[in-house]
Amino acid sequence: MITLGRVSLTLALVFSMASVLFLALGMRWDRKDLLRNGYYAVYGFFLTTIVAGAVLLQAFLKKDFGFAYVAENSDASLSTFYRIAGFWAGQQGSFLLWLLLIAIVAVVIALLDLSKVERLTGGAVMVLCIVGGVFAALMVFDAGSSPFLKAEAGMQPFGLNPLLLHPGMVLHPPALFIGYVGLAVPFAFAISALLLGRADKAWVRLSQKWAVAGWLFLSLGIGLGAWWAYVVLSFGGYWAWDPVENTSLVPWLTATALLHAFTLYKARGLFKRWALALAALTFFFTILATWTTRTGLISSVHAFGRNELLIIILTTFLVVTMAASAGLMAWRWRRFESHDQVESLLSRDFLYYLTNLLLTLFAVAIAFGTVVVPLAFDRTVGLDTYNAIAQPLGVVVLALIALCPLLAWRKTEGAELRKTLILPLVTAALSVPLWLYLGFQSNLWGFIGLVVCGFAVGAVIQFVLRSARRAAGPGKSLWAGMGRAFTGSRTRTAAYFVHFGMILVVAGLIGSSVYKHEETALVKVKVGETASIAGYTLTYKGMTGSTGPQDSTTSIATFDVTRDGAQIGTLAPHTDVYPMSGAAVRAVILGQRFEDLFVVTDEPFDSTSKRIALRMVIFPLIRWVWIGSILLCAGAAVSLWPKPRRQEQEARDAVAAADADGRLDGASA
Amino acid sequence: MNKKSRTRLLIATGVIVVVFVIGVVFLVQKQGAYYRQVSDLTTGQYDGKNVKVGGRVQDGSINRDASGVHFIIQDLTGKTDTVKVTYSGQMPGTFDDGVDVVIIGKYAAAGGVVSADELQTKCPSKYKGSASPAAQTSQ
Repeated sequence: MITLGRVSLTLALVFSMASVLFLALGMRWDRKDLLRNGYYAVYGFFLTTIVAGAVLLQAFLKKDFGFAYVAENSDASLSTFYRIAGFWAGQQGSFLLWLLLIAIVAVVIALLDLSKVERLTGGAVMVLCIVGGVFAALMVFDAGSSPFLKAEAGMQPFGLNPLLLHPGMVLHPPALFIGYVGLAVPFAFAISALLLGRADKAWVRLSQKWAVAGWLFLSLGIGLGAWWAYVVLSFGGYWAWDPVENTSLVPWLTATALLHAFTLYKARGLFKRWALALAALTFFFTILATWTTRTGLISSVHAFGRNELLIIILTTFLVVTMAASAGLMAWRWRRFESHDQVESLLSRDFLYYLTNLLLTLFAVAIAFGTVVVPLAFDRTVGLDTYNAIAQPLGVVVLALIALCPLLAWRKTEGAELRKTLILPLVTAALSVPLWLYLGFQSNLWGFIGLVVCGFAVGAVIQFVLRSARRAAGPGKSLWAGMGRAFTGSRTRTAAYFVHFGMILVVAGLIGSSVYKHEETALVKVKVGETASIAGYTLTYKGMTGSTGPQDSTTSIATFDVTRDGAQIGTLAPHTDVYPMSGAAVRAVILGQRFEDLFVVTDEPFDSTSKRIALRMVIFPLIRWVWIGSILLCAGAAVSLWPKPRRQEQEARDAVAAADADGRLDGASA
Repeated sequence: MNKKSRTRLLIATGVIVVVFVIGVVFLVQKQGAYYRQVSDLTTGQYDGKNVKVGGRVQDGSINRDASGVHFIIQDLTGKTDTVKVTYSGQMPGTFDDGVDVVIIGKYAAAGGVVSADELQTKCPSKYKGSASPAAQTSQ
């Protein structure tokens, strides 16, 4: 079976190169027969990749520890669910997953285009095949990157690391990879459009849904990773500005900017070069994320071994991507000039521009701090620096998100603007008592940020109301248009949800970082001993032990929790001891209406311990981060939902009409 | 083509970019820590500087009191140097004797102590690159 896996990977490489050749020639000479042959080679690329993936999957399912990779990432005691997760628990399998996803996306795009066989799409499929070819080559030529190696005789299965035994961690890597591959599509179409010099909307139209899907899965992947870190890693947080985390956030930021650039590209013919540059930059950053994680050149808590060939291949890939994108853009610079321009600083166009500029700068700054500073300046950037950049920028971007849809295209009159701002200002004022009730006046900057969140809520409501009023038409009641405000345009409905979700996330991030409060206490192991934090009192009740999977033993200390005298629950922080990987302390969380009480011990304990080093942390509003993330993803899913044809046509007409009276945009509100 | 609005846009962009770049460079200059080995610290060159150091927690050296946790880390490059660490922040769940940690904080040559602001243990994920001996020998 190992041989079958290897052979199919080699064939996948051959097929991907063959399709690149056919598609390149077909594009150059504008020959449909060659393009079509290229697509047939893509089928071969897809099928051989599927075979390779199936070989590895069946090895995990059948517990075939003759595969070194299977033995390293699973053992016989794991459930089927976690054995499947073993597929992407290591580096080699992750590369195969990347390859699989690229092949799937390439074949879907090729199939959808089989009746028309357009050069633009052919070029995009060619780019995807080049990317797939790089990953296939990596696994074929670099033994350290191949999942198809024989295990040494007598090698014992390692099992999956106990910290990774969590559904969040099982789904986090594939969600990230789907996100990365989704975002490779706009890059592929951008390169194709540049090669052909096609500055029309076609490339945006063909890649927009893929970009949204990529963004959705990237958001999901980042959210799942944060959730896992919070509930499992027990370090008392969900985000540590670790290089691996940072490099997944960076493409998310540029992808967010890209989606907005696409909107303006389609609606107004603006931001053409921005859209191209952001598509290229986003893809570059996804490869940079892989490069950072896999080469081990940037020291991180996720430190991996170094591997020369891997470093050479991935670094070359990065440099070539950057050089090719920049070179092509320089070549086609004039052709991709925008039809229109930003006329007034008080217009929706300008705020779109500002949001994109800030998101891009934010992304570049994080990438700079994560990759360039350690490599070029021999320094390292810590939490404080990232927080000092992220916190003010996050609030400013949120304010822009709030304002942007309320302004008119081109130019907003002062009187209109004042009328539009009434509702957001009212909700901002209404939010103040809530923040005061939660005691947030202790930090001025945090308070300002939260009031901006209150403002943004009103802005989203205003955005919905205005769409409803416009849909209802003159003289009709607002409610008549309410249904249409939500069903009229998928993109707009998505924007309501995503923007609202983003407000919740930002408020939750401010609450749980700026107003985080923690106490430590050394509690004697004696029934009735107490520790307290901000009105909560923990009373020690006793210790029990149990055994778990992979021969682990667990010591559980139970505490009764009271808040202002009333019993609100029990918490049982525990220490798990795994024979293979040592002791790990595990946190427990008690959720309250506006905050989480997070309790963990600072050192492992067992029945022989004399004391327990308790750490109690209060995370205000942290649940808003999770709820907001779910809304973000739901919103993106709404915009992906296919429409019935008739409705789609209506929506397109509506958009066209709205564009036509763009000047009246603000007035009709 | 409206020349005035174009100029205005360029100026706005320029101001934002310049302010942003200056801010980031300033922050990195001020707060960036030197990434060094334990054996580099004992030369005394980094007295009073922000450093990021990787090391292995010496067995039995972990000592906890009301002010936080104190322990000793050993050099990872095979040298025998050690440095003391004090830390009062959150402990990673996997912190223990013999664990590889990365700390960031200010180094004081007098007493040879790093007052750490951040403490991270190496990630538990099992990604090993080509370092896996099993994979190497089966070639």
